[in-house]
Amino acid sequence: MSGGVELVRAAGLSKHFGGIFANDAVEFTVEEGDLIGLIGPNGSGKTTLINMLTGHLMPDGGEVILRGRRVSGRPAHFFAAMGVARTFQLTQLFGRMTVLENMLVPGLTRPHSHWHAVEKRARDYLEFLNLAQVASLNAKNLSGGQQRLLELGRCLMLDPAVLFLDEPFAGVHPQLRDELLKRIQELHQSGRTFVVVDHDMESILRISRRLVVMARGRKIADGPPDAVRTDQAVLAAYAGL
Amino acid sequence: MSWDYLFIQSANGAVIGVIYALIAVGVTLIFSILKIVNFAHGDLYMLGGYCAYYVITLFGVPPLAAMFVSMMALFVLAIILERTLLTPLYSDATERKDEYGLIVTFGLAFFLRNMAIIVFGPFPLKPPSFVPGVVRIGNLIVTNDRLFAGVVGIALILALLYFMQRTIWGQALDAVSQSRESAAIVGINTQRFNSFAFGVGAALAAAAGALIAPIFSLAPDMGVLPNIQAYVIVILGGMGSVVGSILAGVVLGETESLFTAFLPDATRALAYTNAFGVLVLMAVLIFRPTGLFGRRHLRME
Amino acid sequence: MRGLHVYILLAVAAVALACVDQLNSYWMHVAIIAMFYGILAASWSLLAGYAGLFSLGHMAFASVGGYTSALLVKWYGIPIPLGMAAGIAMCCLLGGVVGWVCLRMSGPYLAIFTLGFAEIIRITFSTEDDVTAGMAGLHTEPLFHTVSRLPYFYTSFALLAASLAIMGWIVRSRWGLFLRAIREDEQAAAASGIAVARFRILVFAIASGFAGLAGVFYAHYIPILTPSLGGLDLMAVLVVMTVIGGMERLPTAVGGAFAVEFLLELLREYGQWRLPIFGVILLVTMRFARNGLLTPIWLRFVRLGEPRSAAPPVARDAGQEDSRA
Repeated sequence: MSGGVELVRAAGLSKHFGGIFANDAVEFTVEEGDLIGLIGPNGSGKTTLINMLTGHLMPDGGEVILRGRRVSGRPAHFFAAMGVARTFQLTQLFGRMTVLENMLVPGLTRPHSHWHAVEKRARDYLEFLNLAQVASLNAKNLSGGQQRLLELGRCLMLDPAVLFLDEPFAGVHPQLRDELLKRIQELHQSGRTFVVVDHDMESILRISRRLVVMARGRKIADGPPDAVRTDQAVLAAYAGL
Repeated sequence: MSWDYLFIQSANGAVIGVIYALIAVGVTLIFSILKIVNFAHGDLYMLGGYCAYYVITLFGVPPLAAMFVSMMALFVLAIILERTLLTPLYSDATERKDEYGLIVTFGLAFFLRNMAIIVFGPFPLKPPSFVPGVVRIGNLIVTNDRLFAGVVGIALILALLYFMQRTIWGQALDAVSQSRESAAIVGINTQRFNSFAFGVGAALAAAAGALIAPIFSLAPDMGVLPNIQAYVIVILGGMGSVVGSILAGVVLGETESLFTAFLPDATRALAYTNAFGVLVLMAVLIFRPTGLFGRRHLRME
Repeated sequence: MRGLHVYILLAVAAVALACVDQLNSYWMHVAIIAMFYGILAASWSLLAGYAGLFSLGHMAFASVGGYTSALLVKWYGIPIPLGMAAGIAMCCLLGGVVGWVCLRMSGPYLAIFTLGFAEIIRITFSTEDDVTAGMAGLHTEPLFHTVSRLPYFYTSFALLAASLAIMGWIVRSRWGLFLRAIREDEQAAAASGIAVARFRILVFAIASGFAGLAGVFYAHYIPILTPSLGGLDLMAVLVVMTVIGGMERLPTAVGGAFAVEFLLELLREYGQWRLPIFGVILLVTMRFARNGLLTPIWLRFVRLGEPRSAAPPVARDAGQEDSRA
């Protein structure tokens, strides 16, 4: 843990659907410079937590705190404007808009943004992500891996302080997965904070500096990977699947 | 306000409710299984009424039999329409399926309504009664046709429910309407099934049209308002719930009739009766955008 | 030459304006009605084609605008342009309210709701005939007291041009991108920073305002106003026009309106048959050319002045769309 500025904090967040607690009083802090792997068995509430931390879901209990401000209940676009970006489990792109247009949209939502400058930034990022040659194609015509890279690009256009990636490696070709990992590391090195959810343990362990484990709606471990991997509760949770 | 008048209105309301239920059940089935809102349903109801009329007047078929003939004819027509117009809904290449279903059924309704004006003429037609005469209860008069429509309507609904509980095809209908995925796993051929469902929905609407024709007569635009009432009912009763639609249909029929009974101004009452259902609909959608019992979000994913 | 298509369109418009007094009164009327539908088709395209909000209440707003203006002028004797402004304002307001009410509704529910809204408006206008003269028809103040329809032609032309200029500016701007993004994926749009609710309300208000504009013009052009202006029949014709032309672009929507209106007149001898024929064309278009019949023509037209080497990279998708101007 870098002991840096607190960016996002889940303060006792709870969410229930029907009678089930998808998230039960979760306490979780993301600090500047973190690269957190958020893991846990299926149904442990990881995506629900991310949805609450990015404004896509209203918590039933507790607070979401962004840079010290209580923001629960604000709409998703507010979080985006505050520098919180996210990707989705199933890539959600603007299918019938071009790759470039997909990149322009988040860039142009920034206040005081100028089209020319935004387009330049977009093209630069497309270069970085190896997508420059498909800039004029409709997003739905990209391969699965390219779509994930584009989703990452869309996040970057928000100039985010923290990026929540929801299962970015799911169903991705190993080659592309390595490319994705490299990009994440490079971006992290240049100062961006990441929270990555995935089941691909190998990838998560390769990049995470800190692991947070959830099971049945609760956080059961939070610390450096080595410590967490040997934690009894964690082993029990995975074994009890 | 006399009790007699109230009683008549309630009786009328019940009959209308049964008719509404028949229409709404069709819309519900089509929605649950094909996942589209059928904007042309009211026009299928209209065609059913006209079909029965022509079968009676041209071939001398007795009215009840004509109703069954009409049901079969509309069943076949619906399958043809489904095969020609709706197959893109099953292809992954089709985008924005919701919108496709909307526009196509809307266009179909437009086509059918205007064709009806040409083929059948714009003036109202009245087929002969199912059972001529009236029934006297004390000093109340109820036309036999209304009783007949109510009874036959209820019988059809019960038959449908029995069909859905007890026969293989029916149970399959029930299963698919509740969960498409599990149905596919069990091995039900969903393509053929959709045609079947569309046909059943249309047949029910045809029956409703044939039953109501001797009471309110036929006109090419007779399906416009029942169409909207059908949405009211389906959204109130729950998209996907057959029983819910039946209950909501009867409730709406009753409420409309009683609403008319209680409004002092007669001409206004009639006009606003139709608006009543719409207002209820709008109110429900405002507070519950997925309907009262909305089981599923209305999307085709 | 880049933008050749714009010069061609301007030239055609200039020629049309110059030659218009050659038209007889009948065809001038047809042209005026075509432009009336053009404004409606373009604004409905903005709502349904760009933002993805399939509203069946569009004609109802035209009706509201028309009645508002006609009644204000009749009761308070205000000058017609003021009445028209009031009618448009009323539609913007009401449109915004409807947009707000519909926020959580999607696709078919929105269609059903707006259909209900249109029916309520029609039934109310029809029934309250001591105010609106109902189905008998409200007699309205004409905009011009001339024998010739020429001033109406110029007015409708100017209104259409202004409407297209404004709507065209919107769709080419970042707001055009945002509306399309909302249509593609509302959740992703919100995650990208778009204030979805605000935009949905705004686009409803703006589109309804333009429908109101068409309606107020109509009210003071045609001497009688009836509630059927907002009825399902005319709404269906509007949908037919816009979808056949191409509902996802302003030029194709307007083109569809012009084409269908002129064809309806040319085929007048077929009487009642015209409508089912267009119904079939609509169904065939949806089944086989969903983007609209005019869209491929428009896309070629836009590239007219460009040298061949400037063609975009080959797209795997046959329906590849270019800039949605």
